[in-house]
Amino acid sequence: METIKAKKITALWIVVVLVLFVVSIVLGILMRLNQAEIIHHSPVTFYGNMTTHGLTMIGIWFVAGMAGVNFLMQRYVTVSLWPNIAGLIFTVVGLTLLWVSTFIGNFHAGWTFLYPLPFKVMWASWATPMFLCSLTVMGVGWLIWSLGMVMQLLKRYSISQVFAWQHFRKNPKVETPPFVLISMITLVGIIASLLAAVVLLVLYFMELFSSGSFVNDALLMKNLTYFFGHTIANEMLYLGLAVLYELFSEVSGRPKWKTTWYIAVAWNLSLIFILTAFFHHLYMDFVQPEGLQIVGQLASYLASLPAAGVTVFSVIIAVYRTRIKWSLTNLLFFIGVAGWVIGGLGALIDATISNNFVLHNTLWVPAHFHTYNAMGNVLFSLAFFHWFAMQFASNNIRERFTKAKLGLLILGGAGFLAVFYIGGAESIPRRYSNYPAEFPFAQMLAYAGAIFATIYLTAILFFFLNISKRCIKIIFSSSS
Amino acid sequence: MYKNYIFIFLIALVFSAVDVMGQVTQNGWKEERQIYQKVYDAKLVMDEQRSTTILQLAQTKPLIIALVFTRCTGVCSPFLLQLKENLQLIGKKNFNVLVISFDVRDSLKDMAMLAQIFDLKTNPQWTFAVTGAIDSLNNSIGFDPVWDAKRQQFEHDAIAVGVNTEGIITKKLIGMRNSKDLELLIKSSEGEFSPSYRLPGKSNLFSCFNYNPQTGKNMPGLGLLFILLPAVITFLLLVFINLLAKNYRT
Repeated sequence: METIKAKKITALWIVVVLVLFVVSIVLGILMRLNQAEIIHHSPVTFYGNMTTHGLTMIGIWFVAGMAGVNFLMQRYVTVSLWPNIAGLIFTVVGLTLLWVSTFIGNFHAGWTFLYPLPFKVMWASWATPMFLCSLTVMGVGWLIWSLGMVMQLLKRYSISQVFAWQHFRKNPKVETPPFVLISMITLVGIIASLLAAVVLLVLYFMELFSSGSFVNDALLMKNLTYFFGHTIANEMLYLGLAVLYELFSEVSGRPKWKTTWYIAVAWNLSLIFILTAFFHHLYMDFVQPEGLQIVGQLASYLASLPAAGVTVFSVIIAVYRTRIKWSLTNLLFFIGVAGWVIGGLGALIDATISNNFVLHNTLWVPAHFHTYNAMGNVLFSLAFFHWFAMQFASNNIRERFTKAKLGLLILGGAGFLAVFYIGGAESIPRRYSNYPAEFPFAQMLAYAGAIFATIYLTAILFFFLNISKRCIKIIFSSSS
Repeated sequence: MYKNYIFIFLIALVFSAVDVMGQVTQNGWKEERQIYQKVYDAKLVMDEQRSTTILQLAQTKPLIIALVFTRCTGVCSPFLLQLKENLQLIGKKNFNVLVISFDVRDSLKDMAMLAQIFDLKTNPQWTFAVTGAIDSLNNSIGFDPVWDAKRQQFEHDAIAVGVNTEGIITKKLIGMRNSKDLELLIKSSEGEFSPSYRLPGKSNLFSCFNYNPQTGKNMPGLGLLFILLPAVITFLLLVFINLLAKNYRT
């Protein structure tokens, strides 16, 4: 079913993602240690690290989801190899350019690079175009990859089948597997967000090369930035969910999940809501029309209902009073769902207009997005990585320290996130390289955050060693 | 059966939309409200012997109005302190400052004490006063303090209002603001243009909205199309790929 080449490239993706993940966590810990004044970095170094950490994390967990979906999609359709390889090459080149722009060029406009910050040059003059080029390269690679997968899906399923519209009625003649439905919904969202990035980057380059004869509209640029940034950050979660729908029942020894009318309706609605939820990033922008602010809050609420509601319901039904064959893979999926829901609730609280006026610039924001990423999406992908490594590596490597790994992961993750939430509730501002004396708890919380993040990193290192060892064997093996 | 659920869902959607609109109205964009409107000409009492009105006070020099209350345990004191320090930093004398209480419990004695604490009692540029028409004044400014009976405090913004010599509100600053913002407020009350948002010029081709000064309305601009563009292109790409892929389907 799965080709040798597909196994090898997936194994390579896994190793690349895990290496970059470990480095990015270290950058995160350095930032928290700097906030705690245990180490002393200049603001330029701090914000450079923040830019690299944020964009690398978004990038690697997006491609991790894509690699998982790409691999499992072979069960349903023939998947071309070259868009996957293009994705890998473009990602590595793009990330290299990004790191050069931040570490050598000192570009430090933050991972959201909000307009007009990239043009307020406080770094090497070549760093801004190189940073924009890095995003362009990654975006092109991911667009090719996504379009390639959509092409393969549409070669097998018609438009109505791939979106499971036949399931809106009773007794459909053709069944669309949930994995196919969710992958398609997600790929469409990804393509839209990447096209938003294309428009955004074209506008940036136009201003960059116009020598002042063309300037952009700040409101338009912010809308486009979050159309791209918010949407892709959410879609990468959905990629993880597609993998969960495919593998959770399989590794639990339960019958495969089927698409029902409510799953079909829920995911189709998700597509609309997720593309309009980004307006909640602009509550502070008084020039944004009120109608769009209202759309932002409603879409944020509604986007969470179908995907989260239906998925949580399905997972609970699957495990409640059921004999489950628990393994590290489905445990990671299960804990990941919990992390995703908790982070999602934190996000909904922040996406409520009246709350956002209080919480917006506090640590509540990194608290919620780290929750559904570090304890949600990352665990979905780790589950896939673990399943993949166990499935295809030779069996002479034993799985060890499972409980210790999970225990450290939960302790480190929960502790690291808890101090973020406490900081948010204490109104400690986000994006400060050093805290003024008016926030007496901030340093202490940052120090605690760094300690818990180090525990989380220890757990990840265990996973890294275990999974990478197997994946390297797959990469260099001569057969399947 | 599921039709009932959909019906309930739609009803809930309508209610939540109403709630969201309420939140937007409650919280949004107060700095832009009441600009270029006339401030209410409230009668001010400074002490037992002296009284005047806002327009009389503003007649000779532009006025900065700061709204506080003396029992405030929150932002009022730091706000006043920062206002005093920033105005000292700017160093101009061509305006007056009126500190007025919006709490009816505040007496002349309370306000005099406040002036003394901030060492402003003898400063001729500063006036501390109470008024019997605080609601009308608040309405004319667009200031909405909310009484919290549990804490015996007002929920309110720190607000400074610039009023020119004709009694027109030219600019408002909400929150603790720096000296640059205050300078813009003073300039606006002197009739100088002070931007709060970069206005589109000839070099700006893709504004989301175009403001028509004659009608006072914002019209959708070309930039809005750019926000729609990714979704439209995605839809067209899907149609195109579907046409290409159709031939391969069995």
